[in-house]
Amino acid sequence: MSVFTLSQSAREKVLLPALEDLVAHHRERCAPYDRILAASGFTSAASVADLPWLPVRLFKTLELKSVPDDEVFKVLTSSGTTGDVSRIYLDKAAAATQTRQLGATLQTVLGPKRLPMIIVDTKSILKDRRSFSARGAGVLGMATFGRDHVWALDADGAVDLDGLRGFLAEHGDQPFLIFGFTYLVWLHLYEIALAHGLDLGNGILIHSGGWKKLIDQAVSPEEFRDRLGRVGLTRIHNFYGMVEQIGTIFLEGPDGGSLYCPDFADVVVRDPQTWAELPPGEPGLLEVVSTLPTSYPGHVLLTEDLGVVHGIDDGAWPGKRFSVLGRLPRAEARGCSDTYRSAGS
Amino acid sequence: MKFRFGAEGDLTAPSDDRLAVGDPRVVDFLGALARRLLAPAVARRFPELGSLGYFLRPAELSRAVTAMRRPDALVFPRGNVFHLPPANVDTIFVYSWALSALAGNHNVVRISSRSAGAAEAVLEALDAVDGDPVIRRTQRMVTYGYDDAVTAALSRWCDLRVIWGGDAAVDAIRKHPLRPAARDLTFPDRTSWAVLSVPGWRAADPAARRAAVTGFANDAYWFDQAACSSPRTVFLVGGGDPADVRAEFLELLLDVVQRRGWTVDAAMAVEKRVHAYGLAATGAATALDFPDNRVTAVTLAGAERAPRRWIGAGAFPFARVDSLLDLVPAMNRQDQTVSHFGFTPAELHAFAAELGGRGVDRIVPFGSALTFGAVWDGYDLPKEFTRLTVIQP
Repeated sequence: MSVFTLSQSAREKVLLPALEDLVAHHRERCAPYDRILAASGFTSAASVADLPWLPVRLFKTLELKSVPDDEVFKVLTSSGTTGDVSRIYLDKAAAATQTRQLGATLQTVLGPKRLPMIIVDTKSILKDRRSFSARGAGVLGMATFGRDHVWALDADGAVDLDGLRGFLAEHGDQPFLIFGFTYLVWLHLYEIALAHGLDLGNGILIHSGGWKKLIDQAVSPEEFRDRLGRVGLTRIHNFYGMVEQIGTIFLEGPDGGSLYCPDFADVVVRDPQTWAELPPGEPGLLEVVSTLPTSYPGHVLLTEDLGVVHGIDDGAWPGKRFSVLGRLPRAEARGCSDTYRSAGS
Repeated sequence: MKFRFGAEGDLTAPSDDRLAVGDPRVVDFLGALARRLLAPAVARRFPELGSLGYFLRPAELSRAVTAMRRPDALVFPRGNVFHLPPANVDTIFVYSWALSALAGNHNVVRISSRSAGAAEAVLEALDAVDGDPVIRRTQRMVTYGYDDAVTAALSRWCDLRVIWGGDAAVDAIRKHPLRPAARDLTFPDRTSWAVLSVPGWRAADPAARRAAVTGFANDAYWFDQAACSSPRTVFLVGGGDPADVRAEFLELLLDVVQRRGWTVDAAMAVEKRVHAYGLAATGAATALDFPDNRVTAVTLAGAERAPRRWIGAGAFPFARVDSLLDLVPAMNRQDQTVSHFGFTPAELHAFAAELGGRGVDRIVPFGSALTFGAVWDGYDLPKEFTRLTVIQP
């Protein structure tokens, strides 16, 4: 069963009414959201791109939730680059939906059964409270989709070669799952696998976490795929997602190179001057759209990532295929309030 | 530690050099510096150095020195002065230092490692001036990292510590004790406003309106609306429904910004959305307009809801009040500059009198908000930089 089935026009037909209902739903239940839309003069939308978006950073500065306090089941937080934190409120239903839909999305490439799993990270990220942030939560969330886990890195961040060899001896002849942050996979797994002739041919790699660190080393997404192919790893799926739209991930298709939207989601690339939607081929600011957020108004979010739509209904899966190109640099003002930070801050 | 100007060596070592208030060696040096800053090539690149050069002209300097003298006491330098100017307003450090040097003090100025542009041009100009050697021995500008030991030593050395840069900076630096007789001159977080008389606007001819908006645009955009004197909220005062006045003001503003070729990048535009949506979410704003990335207009629910924090470059909340006096309850000690258009002197005086010093240190016309003066933040700086000896024969 796949959640990558809807053509763009079919998707728009399903999403627009669902999202309009969500707008009304959140306006009714989240007074700050209603006041934002009222002040902006929003009345109705003729297309998904017409829907009112919120800057994703708003979840760092405002408490936005559409459920009463006593129905909040889970509060997710993400650490930002500046130390401020998004707070995402889930009730029981929203928490269940996000887990189910994330599972459905991954099953498209992993199949229905849990696979033996290599986690390209160190177990200590779960122990050290300070670094247990997005990275720890991401690993834990993904670990539920695997079994017989092995951690590829030891407590010092060095590759546990014996552990990997043991795992491959036991599971290497059947499909297995490899998960990790993109730069860790590149820095640790690729190098070691190449040097020691590890056969990762039955592996399915799911990775995420941005390309910045790799681009600093002049490694492009194409080269990443190409080089991992040399250690037998050909089933590679990058994904893009954020805690502010938990449960929705945009997954790289089997054709490689593009991210696809699951049936309950879409992306809009906007011109950062006019804020109008840009056609395929023109890079702009990425807006992510999903019907999953019911307990907080995160259904239409303007990210601070730059992206480009490559094509529509012309890839391995239907809908838009796109890439994330990098981050919008943070706005900095000149001003008086900036003399001195004491050591440590 | 990097010496940007002045003789290298122990900054806190005792010195035998003595400067007088209005010392001719300092006056000569500052005059030569002014000539360099007013040179066409420099002024073209950094217009803000033009106003600085003007401030340092010999006539201005001699006026400042005359103002330091008093009939009832002898006036002497305060002693050692340690300046911590803001990183991002490139020229503040020169004003602060020049007045203190003119008062005859030995100065150490901490220049931010992130200084750039105009600040670098000033440092080059300083270095190029061939002044009396005593200047380089007594006036030093240094860059050092977040080194608390250096800050602590200079804090023990100085008679006056001048801290710019907002509440957090003041608090951080105050952790370092001064000598018992020394004190701080602090420039904490400030907010500044603009007031526009609706009848005054309607009475003004198109050229006067355009000139007013040009001045306002300079005040607002020069430092991304983040300098302490940059106007943020615009109060539309008197005269019934100001909708047409506001619309014309915004139209002219966008036109001026367009002509200047000023831009607001996408990140700043998003930043402004975040702040504007935040104001709407809390009910402080009732309407938001985003005509262009360069201008964001926010209709406030009332004058008392005007934000005191920075909300982005080119973000203008508007609120309506019936008279300047109605604004008084909304003002407080944090408020620094009110720039005005269309009021009579009597209206401005009545406003200041009603405020009674409980807020607002400067009331200046559109276009003058950023013009530095020897009286700043309510302080008479030349007085702060000197000490008095009385003689009763």
